[in-house]
Amino acid sequence: MFSRILIANRGEIALRIIRACRELDVEVVAVYSEADRDAAYLKLADEAICIGLGPAGESYLNIPRIISAAEVADVQAIHPGYGFLSENAHFADVCRSCKIEFIGPSVESMKLLGSKLASKELARKCNVPLTPGSDGPVKNEKQAVEVAQKIGYPVIIKASAGGGGRGMRVAHNEISLKSSLKAAQSEAEAAFKDGTVFIEKYHDEPRHVEVQILGDKHGHVIHLFERDCSVQRRHQKIIEESPCPVIDDEIRRELCESAVRLAKEAGYYSAATVEFIMDKHKHFYFLEVNTRIQVEHPVTEMVTGEDLIQWQLRIASGEKLTLRQEDVHHSGAAIECRINAEDPDRNFAPSPGLLEEFIPPGGPGVRLDTHAYQGYRIGPNYDSMIGKLIVHRATRDAAIATMRRALEEFRAGPVKTTIPLHRQIMNDKDFQQARVDTGWLERRRK
Amino acid sequence: MAKESFTDNKRVRELIKLMNENGLSEIELVEDKASIRIKRELTGPVSAVAAAVPHSAAAPEKSAQSDEGLLTIKSPMVGTFYAAANPESEPYAKVGALVDKKSVVCIIEAMKVFNEIHAEVSGVITKILVSNGQAVEFNQPLFQVKPE
Repeated sequence: MFSRILIANRGEIALRIIRACRELDVEVVAVYSEADRDAAYLKLADEAICIGLGPAGESYLNIPRIISAAEVADVQAIHPGYGFLSENAHFADVCRSCKIEFIGPSVESMKLLGSKLASKELARKCNVPLTPGSDGPVKNEKQAVEVAQKIGYPVIIKASAGGGGRGMRVAHNEISLKSSLKAAQSEAEAAFKDGTVFIEKYHDEPRHVEVQILGDKHGHVIHLFERDCSVQRRHQKIIEESPCPVIDDEIRRELCESAVRLAKEAGYYSAATVEFIMDKHKHFYFLEVNTRIQVEHPVTEMVTGEDLIQWQLRIASGEKLTLRQEDVHHSGAAIECRINAEDPDRNFAPSPGLLEEFIPPGGPGVRLDTHAYQGYRIGPNYDSMIGKLIVHRATRDAAIATMRRALEEFRAGPVKTTIPLHRQIMNDKDFQQARVDTGWLERRRK
Repeated sequence: MAKESFTDNKRVRELIKLMNENGLSEIELVEDKASIRIKRELTGPVSAVAAAVPHSAAAPEKSAQSDEGLLTIKSPMVGTFYAAANPESEPYAKVGALVDKKSVVCIIEAMKVFNEIHAEVSGVITKILVSNGQAVEFNQPLFQVKPE
């Protein structure tokens, strides 16, 4: 096990990693920008180093500064968290050349699975179901029209280098296909410096279901079951749960085993999430792989009883993943609500400011992962998520009741948060009966 | 003042003795905002002594002399501070030295690259706030300058 690591991240995930390190007796160094200077969680690290100004490019995305901090603090490894540099293969490579362990996958598997097209090729090779589509980049309009005719409208045009829901256009007929194609290509070029696009069948009322993977450096790969993340806003997840409430054990087994096949084929180690789209007929189709720990990892931790961050540390330091697949069980139901400092009444405009009041919920079945506290100032520099409220109970209905109760207790203000929105969703019959899909929330709010 | 007694010779000699007796390569003593750090060079016994420095990046402590009107040269990067181009050379900026915007005041080593740090201000160096070989963070105060 490492004796000292550095966290190249901030906020709630930095705190999460500090907690895991503390329990494993690993010394932990935090980095921070000037904007995060007063954050209380920094005091829980053994050392905190200021690496730059507020803007992420000057700090949390600044590779030379982070590596310098790692060197002066004499750490053996860096945990990149999620977002920022966590899926940056170049950063992982720089760590490697500086003889600092990157707590994540190898550079090669990150590159392979990080490419939407390459990962799809791999999925095909492993007999993981894929959405019918162009099976590669679309070179011109003629080809696009042919593909769309073959697979049938509606179709979706996606940027190969895209992510986070950007660079995507849906077309319902040939006319909109032609205009959307040009638009998608220029958007992709502008946003990701890569105008390559591909086309896929667009699934109506899809659910987003993903599988948690853990692998070690000795070739052992397992899954820790699935999460359903269908409640989304603008392709951003706001509620996640496990297990997926609408699939049976047979589908679950096929889904999870296909994710393991894919990860194994890619020589993957550390944590990953394999994402799928599930249509209303419960057919699932491979979407992409996230080669990092995810925001919603606590959901899986609650239903399986495993500590995923601690496993990441162990795996990175060379230890064996001693969990056999048959040792992994899921029990009960867990739900997570992402608490964002946003104003749902103003189209979710970010709502930074001072948290004058912050009274967190508690009691049975409640877990709150947050770096916020009364007196904390939410700045404008970073994303608006201030915490994750997770509940775990024996059944989904009980979990919903606990989440509703916890949201009622939760006081955070005067900044606007998504707490009231989550209360509404917990009281919504569609959600209670698990009749949702990725477009549900936006339709409901119209 | 408290700061002076913290770094008096007797205490420093005690620390050096402690290091030599126990074969330590580095010792750091921290009290409130002041600290002493003594590091053994790779060859030979301990000889270099680090001065007491305020280790917080907050506003500089008030000393007997007024800090009004003084400027601070801060570190633009994370790395290791070196006062001179190499161990044999004279430090770039001693107390009392006159500097202008382009004067090199120190080296900060980051990722094996030695970066020359320029004063960016004009004036006289009144205080050196860090010690040779010390790790510095972004915006860490390095020198106090009386502007001219």
